[in-house]
Amino acid sequence: MSTVEQVKRRFGAGTVPLLTKRLRQALSVVLFFALWAVLVRLEVLGFGRFVGPVPALSTFVSALLGAPMTGSGATIYQHAAFSAMRVVVAMVLATATAIPLGLLIGANRRWEDALFPALEVFRPVPPVAWVPIALLLLPTFRSGVLFVVFVGAFFPILVNTIEGVDTVDEEYLRAAESLGADSREVFRHVIFPATLPSIVTGVSTGVGLAWITVVAAEMIAGGIGIGYIIFQAYRLLQTDVVAVGMIAIGVLGYASAALVYRIGNRLTEWQTID
Amino acid sequence: MSNQTQTTREPTMEGEPTPEKTGAIDIENLTKVYDPEGERVVAVDDMDLQIGAEEFVALLGPSGCGKSTVMNCIAGYLEPTEGEVLVDGNRVSGPDPKRGVVFQDNRLFPWKTIQENVEFGPQMNDGVEEGRARSILDEMGLDGFEDAYPSGLSGGMQQRAELARLLANDPDIMLMDEPFSALDALTKEIMQKKLIEVWERDNRTVLFITHDVEEAILLADRVVVMTARPGQVKDVIDVDLDRPRDPEVVTTDRFTELRERALSVIREEAQRALEQEEGEV
Amino acid sequence: METRRRLVRAGSVLAVPILWFLLTRLGIVAGLPTPTAVASSFLEEFYRQDFWLSVARSTVRVLVSFVVAAAVAIPLGLLIGRYTVFADLTFPALEMLRPIPPIAWIPFTILVLPASELSIMFITFLGAFFPILLNTIQGARGVEVEFSRAAQSLGAGSFQTFRHVIYPSALPAIHAGMIVGMGLAWVNLIAGEMVAGGTGLGFLTWSAYTSGSYPTIIVGIITIGVLGALSSALVRLFANWQIGWREVESA
Repeated sequence: MSTVEQVKRRFGAGTVPLLTKRLRQALSVVLFFALWAVLVRLEVLGFGRFVGPVPALSTFVSALLGAPMTGSGATIYQHAAFSAMRVVVAMVLATATAIPLGLLIGANRRWEDALFPALEVFRPVPPVAWVPIALLLLPTFRSGVLFVVFVGAFFPILVNTIEGVDTVDEEYLRAAESLGADSREVFRHVIFPATLPSIVTGVSTGVGLAWITVVAAEMIAGGIGIGYIIFQAYRLLQTDVVAVGMIAIGVLGYASAALVYRIGNRLTEWQTID
Repeated sequence: MSNQTQTTREPTMEGEPTPEKTGAIDIENLTKVYDPEGERVVAVDDMDLQIGAEEFVALLGPSGCGKSTVMNCIAGYLEPTEGEVLVDGNRVSGPDPKRGVVFQDNRLFPWKTIQENVEFGPQMNDGVEEGRARSILDEMGLDGFEDAYPSGLSGGMQQRAELARLLANDPDIMLMDEPFSALDALTKEIMQKKLIEVWERDNRTVLFITHDVEEAILLADRVVVMTARPGQVKDVIDVDLDRPRDPEVVTTDRFTELRERALSVIREEAQRALEQEEGEV
Repeated sequence: METRRRLVRAGSVLAVPILWFLLTRLGIVAGLPTPTAVASSFLEEFYRQDFWLSVARSTVRVLVSFVVAAAVAIPLGLLIGRYTVFADLTFPALEMLRPIPPIAWIPFTILVLPASELSIMFITFLGAFFPILLNTIQGARGVEVEFSRAAQSLGAGSFQTFRHVIYPSALPAIHAGMIVGMGLAWVNLIAGEMVAGGTGLGFLTWSAYTSGSYPTIIVGIITIGVLGALSSALVRLFANWQIGWREVESA
């Protein structure tokens, strides 16, 4: 029996699934790179003007070894550090303000009535739209970008925190009260922990938006950072650097999402994990 | 609705299928192992059971004894690890509209109205017959609720609607997995009566899973008691009570006798299951 | 809601322009255009064809990209959610692309796609695509097995099960994805228009900054905000219309 027949028979009989899971997943990634290479090679649409996977990866490696990204001389690490710092600082500010504010609004109807409608006025504005006004009003370019990234992260965290408080089961509060907890203790031992899963969701959405915003702001406003280098490389038609910038931002985005996920899991360990 | 002849039924005790009757279930050496590569949980072990066409059989056993696994194999949701399930001599290889299922928590589609739920089966098969769903709903006492969504109905009504959905498909076999366990006592009694009514009129085979001994005896021709895991047939009790059985039958001596017999088997198995669990921990 | 609460909430909203007025009047925030300047700029824009053209452009871009994103992401998500083999073959590649913010694609799309209009729409599409995809996958995986079993026992084939069971029961999750997706479509559209230039509200806002007509920046922001809120409302309306059965449940 030939190999092909054997494979067919096994597959047909349903004894052996089509490749193993790992292999299929690896195949998916390989096919992606192959597709990329083929599109560039055959110059489908304008792919002829873009870099293929092999030169892109080789530029990525040399960038990782410290070669400057463009003529300006800054390395990938410097650009990444600037973007990452902006995201980190904005995230710290956003969590430090949005979480307490969200808890306050969620738990107290008076605060909700006083603050929430005003905040809702600003929520539909995409954070990127604040870029010109932030550059106009804030004294330095850096603080302008930072502000916009902060706005990007702020609203998802706020809204999720409020929703989290709203969905805390009333009976937990009653149970705590009848066990002798005063309102501060109820807040600390019931409302806050019960809201944590929702806060974590908000923070992970927020960090995603922070990255989108930082890249957009850096592209628009220039200076330094991964967003800037992607667009600068485009102007210089260094498409390999464009691709490296995209890879770098993807890696950073993935890493920060994974970090938030980890921390979130640690904080909400009591939740049943499937 | 049914093309079978409408006869007053005699309780068939031995369950021998006569040629024109359909819906006989033959479980042969049924073994079901979950996770055979890993932990190997043997849910059902080499079980044999014959259910005659048009027979009403209750499957009784302690929780986790594999009752539902047996039902899922008959329904065609699960592939037996060993052995097979035959229906009217044919091997079960997947779900089939001739084998209708009523689930423990109602599984009406919440995104469809009651009428759409009832018409779902016909729509999937021969096509919807005008007015048929309505007449089934009328019969189940659900007239006026055709356009309601399941969430707007009480638990008892939902269960009736699920039964209606099943009947609209005119199955030979009705597989019911603790269908009334979530209902209050009064609603339960009404539903039991309704079920018997439907069964007596339409000549269907019913496999009724329950952990309620009285319910099993009250409804069934035969009560099959299963062992604790791995599930096997421990005892088969012929219920020789006359039909129709009204609720007072539970006070008769014969009923008490049957109940005591079933209970003693159950107790023994429940105790064994408990010890087993303690052994595992 | 009692009248007092309504008043407080209305006051909360009104406080925004009042605070704005005070901040500019007292010169606390230097450079912030005053409400009156913005209002008169708004009036001016109102009679300019260019402004309405920008509004129309951005709106059409968002709507078309969003619809295409939903039309691709929902079937793809349902398939990935239900078929492991298909998921293994497609999802890892998609997961590699997902962490890249859509706006980072802009140089690539300008180079590769034949028209700048398509570049901006592709960015907007990407913004909406991944949230809808992920939520659809989650929704399809969350369908209780007994629903599909019930359908099969009633005689439904695999396509029918998809159509009558998997899809409707994944709908709430799909809608959640669509709401997030609509928001991200706007974020990336505005960024795309600012970066790639040319037309649209993002460009209008950015060029107002570069040309020094600062009140127009705020006109742009307000217009974008209103359109963003309207399109979110549209998605919610559509969602509620599509799942009438859910409302009954919560009632």
